[in-house]
Amino acid sequence: MNIKEYISSGVVESYVLGLLSAQEKFEFEKYCESYPELKEARTAFELALEKQAMENSIAPPAELKQKIASKIFEEDKTAWVVPIQTATQKKFNWTRLVAAASLALLVGSIWWIMSLKNENEKLKTDLIKTQQDLDSSQEQVAQMTLDAKKMGEGMKMVSLNGTANSPKSFATVYWDTASHDVYLLVNNLPKPASDEQYQLWALLKTNGQMQTIDLGMLELSQKPLQLYKMTNAQSAQAFAITLEKKDGNPDPNLGKIYVMSNL
Amino acid sequence: MESKIKYSEQELVVLLNGQSNDAFNYLYDNYSGAIYTIINQIVLDKDTANDVMQEVFVNIWRKIKTYDASKGRLFTWMLNIARNAAIDKVRSRGFRDNQKTQAIPEGESGVVISSNPTVSDVGLQKVLTTLNEEYRKLIDLSYFQGFTHEEIAKMLGIPLGTVKTRIRTAISQLRTMIQ
Repeated sequence: MNIKEYISSGVVESYVLGLLSAQEKFEFEKYCESYPELKEARTAFELALEKQAMENSIAPPAELKQKIASKIFEEDKTAWVVPIQTATQKKFNWTRLVAAASLALLVGSIWWIMSLKNENEKLKTDLIKTQQDLDSSQEQVAQMTLDAKKMGEGMKMVSLNGTANSPKSFATVYWDTASHDVYLLVNNLPKPASDEQYQLWALLKTNGQMQTIDLGMLELSQKPLQLYKMTNAQSAQAFAITLEKKDGNPDPNLGKIYVMSNL
Repeated sequence: MESKIKYSEQELVVLLNGQSNDAFNYLYDNYSGAIYTIINQIVLDKDTANDVMQEVFVNIWRKIKTYDASKGRLFTWMLNIARNAAIDKVRSRGFRDNQKTQAIPEGESGVVISSNPTVSDVGLQKVLTTLNEEYRKLIDLSYFQGFTHEEIAKMLGIPLGTVKTRIRTAISQLRTMIQ
């Protein structure tokens, strides 16, 4: 190609002024590498344009410089500061989120603790009650163990069945034949009137004569399966309980036998 | 404060890459006038020109690392940044204005040609006034309004080849006037 024609075609000026298409621009830059005179022509026009532009310029408003300077340098600073601010912002939000979550947790925890506390209180009360029940049960068991001990070897168990006066009544007498101790277990007896009281008798037949021996008055308690310690019996062939006046009688009211064992 | 020291372009590029206050002061003190002038030849009002001026210097400042000395002088590079920014601004405005006035019928060609940009007594515009009307219009459309040769060909109803030739001729004339 004829480089002189190319240079004088106006392509140099068009390039410098930015009027070439992308393709033309690319070509021009490529030719500049191969043709030093093209590059020289380009530089010459650039310098001429620059000189012309410099000599015929109008000054911008004075305040513009400071405005631009602060924009450049403050934005430069902001460019540095922004990520930090963002980080701080994020951190702040994060803190707030954590705080909110913590508050939620705290409220939840308090509710939970209160519930637990209430439940705990109830459990405590229950426990105390259970403990008391257990204590009393243990007491009973201890007593019953003690009672049972008394019913060891040589203890004679006698069932007293209900008579016509009270067919459903039933009691049991434990008689220690060695120590002669008598214990009465009331399984079922009707509650006596306030001026009446049950009385236990030992029955002994000697020489065809029926002898009744007072074994004591029965102080009925509310406790179930209460074993009552009665008066010792040296000898007995049977036992009976009669309903007597309060504090009893020296001889049994035979018409009011409630329970009696076989002879 | 005017800078007394004179840097070569190579030195200035190094200085600008350092992004110091001194670099900015030197750049602004030496080139703001020429850049402000080219902006005002494209942008019609002062406020907009001032906005573009800020954009241009911020861009020069930020894009200095992309400047390639093998493709032209620093001043040329800066001048083109200024020209492109100003044209972009005018076009974004023109676009908005066109949107607003869409219902109003335009002239026969459908194109409004601004044949006399504002600052006509300085810089390239001053040189332009010495060209004949046709060349002046072509330079105005291509250089000051940023239309491509294809767009100009369509606007004026002239073949693309003719547009290219005429613009090159106009520019060659400009050159003889500049030198």
